[in-house]
Amino acid sequence: MIQLTRRNFMKFAAASGAVLATGEGMKSKALAGTVQTQTGRDFSPTTKKERQAIPTACWQCVARDSMIGFVEDGRLVKLEGHPKSIRGNGHICARGMAGINQVYDPDRILYPMKRTGARGEGKWKRITWDEAVTELTDRIKKLRDEGHPEKFIFHYGRMKASAAKLIGGLVEATGTGSIGNHTSLCEAGKWTAQELTWGGHFDNWDIDKTKFILNFGSNILETHTNHMPVAHRIMNAKVDRGVRMVTFDVRMSNTAAKSDEWIPIRQGTDMAVFLAMTNVVLNKGLYKGDGEEFLKYCKCTEKHDDTVENKVEALKKHYANYTPEWASKISGVPAAKIEQIATEYATTKPAVLIAYRGAITTYNGTDSERARMVLNSLTGNIDNPGGNCKAVGAGWASAKIPKSETKKAKDIFDGAPKGQPESYPFPTHHASHQVLPRIKASGPGTFELALWYCYTPAYANGDVQGNIDVLKDEKLLPFVVSVDPFYGDSTHYADMILPDATYLERYDWEDMVDPTQIGEYYIRQALVKPLGESRDFGDVMIEICNRLGIKTDYKTKEEYVQQSVDMTPGVKEAGGWEYMKKNGVWNDGKAKYYSYKKEVPAEAIKEAGVVYDEEAGVYWNPEKAHVTENKGYFRSKNAYKGYVATKMGDKLIAGFKPDKINKSGYMELWSQPLKDVGMNPLPEWIPAPEHANIAPDDLHLTTFKVVVQTHSRTANCKWLSEIYPQNQAWMNPKDAAARGIKDGDRIKVKSAIGEMEILAHVTENAQPGHINISHHKGHWAYGRYASGKKSPVGADDPDDANIFWKGFGTHPNWIIPNKGDRIAGYQRWNDTLVKVTKA
Amino acid sequence: MKKSRDIKKEMSELASQRSSVYGFLARVYSRELNSALLNRIQDPRFMGVLFDLEVQLGDEFFSRPKHELLENLAVEYTRLFLGPGRHISPHESMHHQRNDGDWGKLWGASTVEVKKFIESAGLHYKPEYTGLPDHISVELEFMQVLTKEESRAWNRNDMDRVHYCCQIEKKFMNEHLLKWVHIFCNKVISDAGMSFYREIAAITKNFMELENEELGGCYSKAYEEQLLKARN
Repeated sequence: MIQLTRRNFMKFAAASGAVLATGEGMKSKALAGTVQTQTGRDFSPTTKKERQAIPTACWQCVARDSMIGFVEDGRLVKLEGHPKSIRGNGHICARGMAGINQVYDPDRILYPMKRTGARGEGKWKRITWDEAVTELTDRIKKLRDEGHPEKFIFHYGRMKASAAKLIGGLVEATGTGSIGNHTSLCEAGKWTAQELTWGGHFDNWDIDKTKFILNFGSNILETHTNHMPVAHRIMNAKVDRGVRMVTFDVRMSNTAAKSDEWIPIRQGTDMAVFLAMTNVVLNKGLYKGDGEEFLKYCKCTEKHDDTVENKVEALKKHYANYTPEWASKISGVPAAKIEQIATEYATTKPAVLIAYRGAITTYNGTDSERARMVLNSLTGNIDNPGGNCKAVGAGWASAKIPKSETKKAKDIFDGAPKGQPESYPFPTHHASHQVLPRIKASGPGTFELALWYCYTPAYANGDVQGNIDVLKDEKLLPFVVSVDPFYGDSTHYADMILPDATYLERYDWEDMVDPTQIGEYYIRQALVKPLGESRDFGDVMIEICNRLGIKTDYKTKEEYVQQSVDMTPGVKEAGGWEYMKKNGVWNDGKAKYYSYKKEVPAEAIKEAGVVYDEEAGVYWNPEKAHVTENKGYFRSKNAYKGYVATKMGDKLIAGFKPDKINKSGYMELWSQPLKDVGMNPLPEWIPAPEHANIAPDDLHLTTFKVVVQTHSRTANCKWLSEIYPQNQAWMNPKDAAARGIKDGDRIKVKSAIGEMEILAHVTENAQPGHINISHHKGHWAYGRYASGKKSPVGADDPDDANIFWKGFGTHPNWIIPNKGDRIAGYQRWNDTLVKVTKA
Repeated sequence: MKKSRDIKKEMSELASQRSSVYGFLARVYSRELNSALLNRIQDPRFMGVLFDLEVQLGDEFFSRPKHELLENLAVEYTRLFLGPGRHISPHESMHHQRNDGDWGKLWGASTVEVKKFIESAGLHYKPEYTGLPDHISVELEFMQVLTKEESRAWNRNDMDRVHYCCQIEKKFMNEHLLKWVHIFCNKVISDAGMSFYREIAAITKNFMELENEELGGCYSKAYEEQLLKARN
């Protein structure tokens, strides 16, 4: 028992002094300066607080709303919507406000770490940043020197705007093109469908000017890619202008509840209803007028210059069998209701047709979105005020990013693993959920170095156990680096963890879609310094590149962002970086519609190298597209990069400019690229193979999001998990009664690849034949509020006594396999059939 | 009766000794041990003092090869104080159980108060310091600086300065260190896997008690009397 007394204290003090005399104490000092008797400052926490209001941008979800952060004495205390933002109009959601929890998350990683035990054992040692950067740089250099830079895989979860431009660019500058993303977990099929039809992806619904909102499978009032900017407009439209909203959904979400009408629909059958609605529009002649006019810009047959009459005839022929009665049998929606909604949508001008996750996370997902585009086209609701518009965002200039002279990539991002009977002809946003299964199928040697950035591969993909098996295998992944502000379900299996700055501690230019069609330029500013030794990974990549001899004109990401802002036309004249730091947002006030009608000057096609392709009706430049073997516009690799204009009669128009796919400049309702791969060029209903022999006791498992959580990055936010601590499985009372299940019972949910247990929520808000589970919860290593694994001694929290719930939920991805839709390879989250029993 | 000059010398010495202990502890908590520091601690003179204090460092502290011991100590330091995952955060805002309930998180209200306190005393955080303002090593270092300054003031016979230093020491002890260090040390004592950090935590806790009860620097009754005599 230690007993420090006055007597032995003096000895201990002398010994301590001797240690300090060696200079040891000086090396670790945090403080400088001298004690002063008069400083003119008061240190009472209740007086003289300096409050700063700093414009910045959210990042809790991909909507990235503009915000104001309030900082007191270096501590972030509040986040609010930016009142001058034309996107958000001062609104942010609960997730955004809880961003403070991210900065001050007690489970944050504050120092670089290297594992000391076996992978996944959880033993770590702090290392310095110099050691970390040296090791990472050496490993990249070795692969470059050996001629295999592609053996470095960089896989990110969310990387947008300046972060994508800079970090993605610098990773490529090291020579690797082995870069994975996670769009195949989000909405890749939707994007691919848009690339097949109207070119560049992302649609905006012009809610401020619309008169009718028709929604398929989007819980848009709770969560969405552009959530608050759209959601608050929908509520304004409903309340201020009495705009009617109808929602088709497998369950009564809060969005469905707030709609004027909720129409239950069987999972994965939205496309059948789109097809039948189109049948109604064609047969009742509701395409006449606006739709007929727009058909001039559409390709509906093999001939791009076909007459409108022929186009209508071809469509009528194709859609003849897709009757409301046919769709009713598939979808469960009454035929009369389909006809009524089709008529309402086609005759209320202008109108928007929203479709999202519910409609596309299925075997027919990409074609479902194409079918929606047909319906929008036939009603003339394309890129028009109040309709379905091509998205507009900020067009930032970028400071120079170095490029690698040679770049190599592993062919592992775009297909299913061997043995899985699937193929994806247009994986334009990759099938990144298949990367781990493909690494396993490819065997050791595929990659030597893996780096996850803002990515939790174990949790975010389907087949969690399969993911963990690959992550743990040191032969398949010899060295894994995870860049993350937090310890979590995937960092647990890393060999080195680099502590990333949270989004509230870093700088970015931002460009998310603006619902006003104007395009808002906005920035993210660091509200506080990165906690501990955490660093923005942009800064780290700059350092790595510089060490590799790759020069940059900036030493930090902040400098890169500043240079880019100061180069951007419009923003530059408004005052550049200083203006943006003070105001956070800027726009030119010009809304953009009908971009496809824009006439192209004749000089554009007189430029050297530009040729006309008769089959496509497109002027293009093969040289600019770096085409080495010219097989015509449709069939030359990356021909779309040389697109110049579309010929319509005697006019030259901008048309629907292609991106990622060699489509013409028309709205391609009839798709030449799909025909060329042997698929139906018009949207075609093909039932999901696994649904062909559905057993009477099978239920469709669907997943969804709630208003206070994002998929994988908010569960350790205390305020949010207090509101939504654990998930339950929604079941209809009929399905529950048939299985002897009561509300609150523990149930087993079993799929072909696994089984999970969860509490049942028996509710009429779930449709018979379905079980609906939200997918934010059930973490196993991500922090005390997310997984319940709080530090046994250091994690005291005065709110502990207020915890009223038991359990942290269950993650459905353990029983959902990694599969892909038949065109884009997009993860089919909602095609899994399960059997449910009482536990 | 002691002369005023002797009292001042004694008090200067006492403040200097306290400063050494604060400095030593601040260093130990600030980061992992390095080879030089381990050498000093394993020095027979230092070990003799620890023996006097009945500190039990265990056989491994002496028998293990030094590089292995340093590695083990570094892993233990990481596990105890850094994480990731289950660890004992060495920051006041995690442990100081404030009446307003604003505790149990990093960069909490206590962090702000500590930062303001230290800066209001004329010190500032070095730009290269990347930790949080209320890390235990910073708070101990602050006391090290204050007591060192107090010692110098005694020597200079600058009683206003002595009084000022003592006031700040007293206020900082009462408002911060005494509010949480014992809680933190108890957690380390019960969770430490290696005896070194367990014993350091025990010494720290003991030292805080001694500071509060006997040495008192500036806040114990005995010290106030000495100060009064010295002034006279």
